Amino acid sequence: MRFVIETADLTKKYGPLVAVDKLDLKVKTDTIHGFLGPNGAGKTTTIKMLIGLLKPDGGSVSVLGQELGWDKPDVRSRIGYMPELPKLPKHLKGRELIDIYGRMYGVTKEERKKQIPKLLDMVGLKERGIDLIITYSKGMKQRLGIAQALLNEPELVILDEPSLGLDPVGMVEVREIMHEIAKEGVTVFLSSHLLHEVEQVCTHVTIINKGVELASGTLKQISAKVKGPVTIEAEVDKLSKAVIKKVEKLSFVTGVSKDGKKLLVEVKTRDDVRSQISQAITAGGGIVISMDSKGKSLEDVFMDLLVKHKRKKRSQ
Amino acid sequence: MSVSHTSWTAKFLAVVRYEILWNIRKKKFLGMLILAFALSTLSLALGHIVSALGGPSVEPNPDFVIGSNVGLGGFGFFLFAIVTVMNTVSGEFESGTIVPLLAKPVSRTTVFFGKLFAAFLTLLVTYCFLMIYMTIGGFVVYGPQNNLHLVPLSLLGALFSTLIWISIVLFFGTLSRSSLIAALAPLGIWLGTTIIGQIVGALAGQGWILTYIPGTGNSGFANGGPPSQFAPTGTAVSTGTDSIGPNLISYILHPSREVTFYKINIEEMAHGQPSWVALYSEPLSNIVLMSIAVALVYFIVFVAISWYAFRRAQITE
Ligand SMILES: Nc1ncnc2c1ncn2[C@@H]1O[C@H](COP(=O)(O)OP(=O)(O)O)[C@@H](O)[C@H]1O
Ligand SMILES: [Mg+2]
Repeated sequence: MRFVIETADLTKKYGPLVAVDKLDLKVKTDTIHGFLGPNGAGKTTTIKMLIGLLKPDGGSVSVLGQELGWDKPDVRSRIGYMPELPKLPKHLKGRELIDIYGRMYGVTKEERKKQIPKLLDMVGLKERGIDLIITYSKGMKQRLGIAQALLNEPELVILDEPSLGLDPVGMVEVREIMHEIAKEGVTVFLSSHLLHEVEQVCTHVTIINKGVELASGTLKQISAKVKGPVTIEAEVDKLSKAVIKKVEKLSFVTGVSKDGKKLLVEVKTRDDVRSQISQAITAGGGIVISMDSKGKSLEDVFMDLLVKHKRKKRSQ
Repeated sequence: MSVSHTSWTAKFLAVVRYEILWNIRKKKFLGMLILAFALSTLSLALGHIVSALGGPSVEPNPDFVIGSNVGLGGFGFFLFAIVTVMNTVSGEFESGTIVPLLAKPVSRTTVFFGKLFAAFLTLLVTYCFLMIYMTIGGFVVYGPQNNLHLVPLSLLGALFSTLIWISIVLFFGTLSRSSLIAALAPLGIWLGTTIIGQIVGALAGQGWILTYIPGTGNSGFANGGPPSQFAPTGTAVSTGTDSIGPNLISYILHPSREVTFYKINIEEMAHGQPSWVALYSEPLSNIVLMSIAVALVYFIVFVAISWYAFRRAQITE
């Protein structure tokens, strides 16, 4: 099986709003695939269609090699899913709930006996399993949500914003859990609006905005795509046209602009060319006060893509 | 892989377990039990209360228990239905717990009927306790009881009478996804059929309509002579789904019983001389069959629509 998740032209509308727009999502086996997009991008809507909670208005979904029909529960026995800010029955105890969910997955009694304490321990709820969920903090519910997603030893784990509502320590813990899951040969598909989370955890990423896919590929591919030009920012005293002309003449420079006392130089090389630029500035009569090289981060790429997408939409 | 291909029953029972565990810890459930015992205690003590207020003194009544309808009667059944299932589907939507639940490899049909079965079990157990309580209480208050072997029928009838309301509450809960509507809409129906229906039925002589509506039903009299000036004599019989248990027992004890229906003569009432005019008679067997059929049809129709809606529900929560 090449793709664990494969959608074609997947579309979902809420009245006039197109929440997911002809999405072709492809998630490979044995990857940690990030589904990145700002709030309202359509991540949760997409995931709900993958699980069979929402019915697509168009297109097709196939998960773990099976075409997803309506209310066909079989494929779900191979998926673990943590909803966004999971809402769990408050009047059950953590352990009880996991046990009942386990029964629904068809996990045998012996397995449940073995697995449940292990899972609760893994998410740091060993001591609190006997308490009612109503007494849990947000973060504890989140972690119970992760535990219940691993009950059935799934082949695919789908986590919708796993670090939402967690403190920094919790976020690190969740990241470790994701790495651990992935190590065991489980494909992880996680949605997030946090770039650095995706950057730190994922091997692959699909970027989505307003229901439309903006980019998809390995983290490296996406980064490279946008890491093209590097901008060097120089603060220059006596910044004149002559200075700009001198800098423009350098072979590796693709663009120069002025921003008050700042000279922004875009270069197409990744080598350190600061001394050459400095020399050119001096030759033009300027005095370099400071100089800084800025490669684009995934964050910039992400913002770029979003801005471009907005412009494109407006011009349509 | 640890997941075996479990049978459908195992998953079904997991849903039942989920539902019962969830419900049993709610304060509402405790309230329901207290209410149930309060209602049945009231029905046990009613005779003494009336006599204390100057009414006739309490006579031994060997038929008290089998006619007691588990000590609840119409409004009790209705309240029980509401308390048992008003959250069953709508509560899952309101709390958002429907999302992790339906993400499990259990079909929605299994979830729906598992929940319905859990409600049924809850009722069964509660009514069993009530019935035991009523039997002992009836013995204490009204002396030795006859035909106690028919008590299970009384239980069965009470379950039937409640299930019809259960299906209506489920219907409104599933379609509206709101527990408030699940409780209020049936209350409106109950009030409408009970109060307005009775008045319209008695005055206009159109009471037969009530036979087709869940609840009290039409009122007639069996086993009596001609009506007296103010009220027919004999045993009052309600035809509705609320009285399936007592009517069933009454039929078994008196298979050839006829029930006569009356209307109030309004013109004579204006002269201060109200009288009752006999409209028609019907064998008790027909009435029992009819109320069971009505209960079944309502139950099946409302459950089927709810199930269909639940299967198709998009989980936007
Ligand atoms: N139940 C709903 N009814 C109407 N619009 C909705 C509903 N759920 C989500 N939306 C809209 O669909 C879009 C995508 O939402 P969502 O999938 O939740 O995005 P994300 O998970 O990426 O934050 C948003 O514009 C959101 O407002
Ligand atoms: Mg979301």
